[in-house]
Amino acid sequence: MKKTIAVLLTALMAVSFVFANGSSETAASDGTTTLTWAVWDYATTPYYDALIEAYEAQNPGVNVEVIDLGSADYQTALQIQLSGGGSEFDVVAVKDIPGYNNLVKAGLLTDLKPYVERDGIDTSKYGGIVEQVTVDGTYYELPFRSDFWVLFYNKDLFDAAGVPYPDNDMTFEEYDALARQMTSGSGSSKVYGAHYHTWRSAIQLFGILDGQHQITDGGDYSYLAPYYEMALSQQADGVVQDYATLKTSNIHYSGVFYNESVAMMNMGSWFIASLIAANNSGQSDADNWGIVKYPHAEGVEPGTTLGTITALAIPSSTNEKDAAWEFVKFVCGEQGAEVLASTGNFPAVTNEEINNIIASMDGFPQDEASKEALNVAQLYLEMPLHDKSAEIEVVLNEYHDQIMTGNMSVDEGLAEMGRRVDQVLAN
Amino acid sequence: MLRKKEVGAASVTANGLPIDPSIKIEKSRAAKKAELNRNLVAYSFIAPNFIGFAVFTLIPIVFAFVLAFMNWNGNTDMTWAGLDNFKYIFTNEMFLASLRNTVVYTVGTVPLTLVASLFLAIVLNQKIRGRNFFRTVSFFPYVGSLVAITAVWNMLFNPSMGPINEILRMLGVDNPPRWIADNNWAMFTIILFSVWKYMGYYMVIYLAGLQGINSELYEAASIDGVNTWQKFWYVTLPQLRNTTFFILIMLTIQCFKVYDIVYMLAGGGSGALSEATTVLVYEIYNSAFRYWRLGVASAEALVLFAIVLAITIVQFRLEKDK
Repeated sequence: MKKTIAVLLTALMAVSFVFANGSSETAASDGTTTLTWAVWDYATTPYYDALIEAYEAQNPGVNVEVIDLGSADYQTALQIQLSGGGSEFDVVAVKDIPGYNNLVKAGLLTDLKPYVERDGIDTSKYGGIVEQVTVDGTYYELPFRSDFWVLFYNKDLFDAAGVPYPDNDMTFEEYDALARQMTSGSGSSKVYGAHYHTWRSAIQLFGILDGQHQITDGGDYSYLAPYYEMALSQQADGVVQDYATLKTSNIHYSGVFYNESVAMMNMGSWFIASLIAANNSGQSDADNWGIVKYPHAEGVEPGTTLGTITALAIPSSTNEKDAAWEFVKFVCGEQGAEVLASTGNFPAVTNEEINNIIASMDGFPQDEASKEALNVAQLYLEMPLHDKSAEIEVVLNEYHDQIMTGNMSVDEGLAEMGRRVDQVLAN
Repeated sequence: MLRKKEVGAASVTANGLPIDPSIKIEKSRAAKKAELNRNLVAYSFIAPNFIGFAVFTLIPIVFAFVLAFMNWNGNTDMTWAGLDNFKYIFTNEMFLASLRNTVVYTVGTVPLTLVASLFLAIVLNQKIRGRNFFRTVSFFPYVGSLVAITAVWNMLFNPSMGPINEILRMLGVDNPPRWIADNNWAMFTIILFSVWKYMGYYMVIYLAGLQGINSELYEAASIDGVNTWQKFWYVTLPQLRNTTFFILIMLTIQCFKVYDIVYMLAGGGSGALSEATTVLVYEIYNSAFRYWRLGVASAEALVLFAIVLAITIVQFRLEKDK
């Protein structure tokens, strides 16, 4: 009898140990501090280690460890880990704006404004991004990567067709005409003039570049109609690949550019590093390429484009806030920016020097236009910060899909989109 | 569980002699202690499993019932919501669409799977050459990895370059359906896939049921001069009643819980389901882990629970009345 009680107690203790062990000690007895950093795609992303090495070299007393939560459900996994209140993370990467909004709403992040003000950091170097992630007068993340959309093109295909390259000042009409001009062939020799990946950003967000509208506003979305009509007519004329086919076959945008079946493709600047790597490894045939600024509507400044940021935040549960802040300050500051740029990625801190580092990378196109394309005039976030951004995102994706698969006409789809976003906003 | 306790069953001994309830046998202290000991030993064996079950299943389930009436995002303080969560979900178009789609999916999948698996079982219960080979082939979709087979289906049913539509065009169909890309065909495609995937598994259960039928029944039927159809209708089907009932319940519950198949077939790269294909479990996941409205998610889960419970009760009743 005593034995059974002892067994039961041991079992209970074992269980409670499992749960009590959530928050581990981070300061070791020899004075070194260990910071745990939550990231995704650790194995395939070169800059995590580069940043950590650079930081540890400067700060011998600090040890940064990485935990990979995977890319697909990163924000979900992160929020679940932080919600218990006893996570081991001291620094977390924040992948997107809806995810950031959820974390802030749940009170899981540390307010960074006091730290920024204490250390006298000038947030204007982030080009307005900090203002775009400000909630109720303060902010809980600092960006370290900032990617923006450009137009990639394949120089060999343009040379073969005898068509002049796209340039840094193209209206949508010129872009459309160029895409049609570059379409040729059939079967395996078919060249598509342009390519839209299945993300809504690839087409839908052409419409917000004039700065007149916020995608989260709901109501009347008819201002998106011209861009959907352009894409649908390109699709009908075989200028771009069929959306439904791309989606059901889960075709990745990189493949079609690598195998030289598209002449132009609008995509984020993150694709530059992948493209260079693929060209070096021989995975890609498109080794003669260039970039130009995003096409723009009449009267809008060239270099106006979409952006997406990757940021760092400090969970409110960590005991190592000061050490974590020092690391965040490094990664999001100029020194981190140089490390990021040397790996071909775009840091959130932008200046001439950083652009030079990227443009001088091996494999980056040598023409002046490609280098000039790195200068952003105005950046709009793919998803602006909004209390309901996660729910709005779902609606925007849904009707993008309905329009592009032809299940709804453009007008019908946009009307439904407005009605449903209004519904989300009302609830 | 639902059967009424047979009244008076306890007042008869094992030999059928009546027990006078007024006589109470006093157990000795030693006997009581021995019984307690025996119970404790038994509990200690159950404990590891039960503690796990309680911590990871029972408590969360009870918690979900409470959460359905709360507002909570997982970290900040809970606030009382009353019936607001239920009001919200029953005016939410995506939730209503998911409810509709799940019912359509279940109504489509269950009977088709039953018929298909029974047909397969009867055919493969005959003594034909290569019987084991065909049984294995039928079972294969069930064991195949979902990710792999949905990828193959998506290629086969690709609207513009898939072989299915190529064949249809060759057969003279001008505008073959766009399958998963078409709102009107998407659910049908998913049902077709599910029937194909599940029928092999339920075939095996039916095969076991078929082999349990006493062959004397068929002999007797033959002597009475009945034809094959009558044999099936009056011998095989009634004898398989228990099997069919089991499959019906398992399959219905499985269909209401559908998520992975729809997600993989219709989710595309982004894993977002449209109004035409969204299902209950997907909406629950979305509410909980995309929007972090755990109260709303719990309310949705409660609706799913109520539906499954209701269907199971009805099916048990029908089974008993037969």
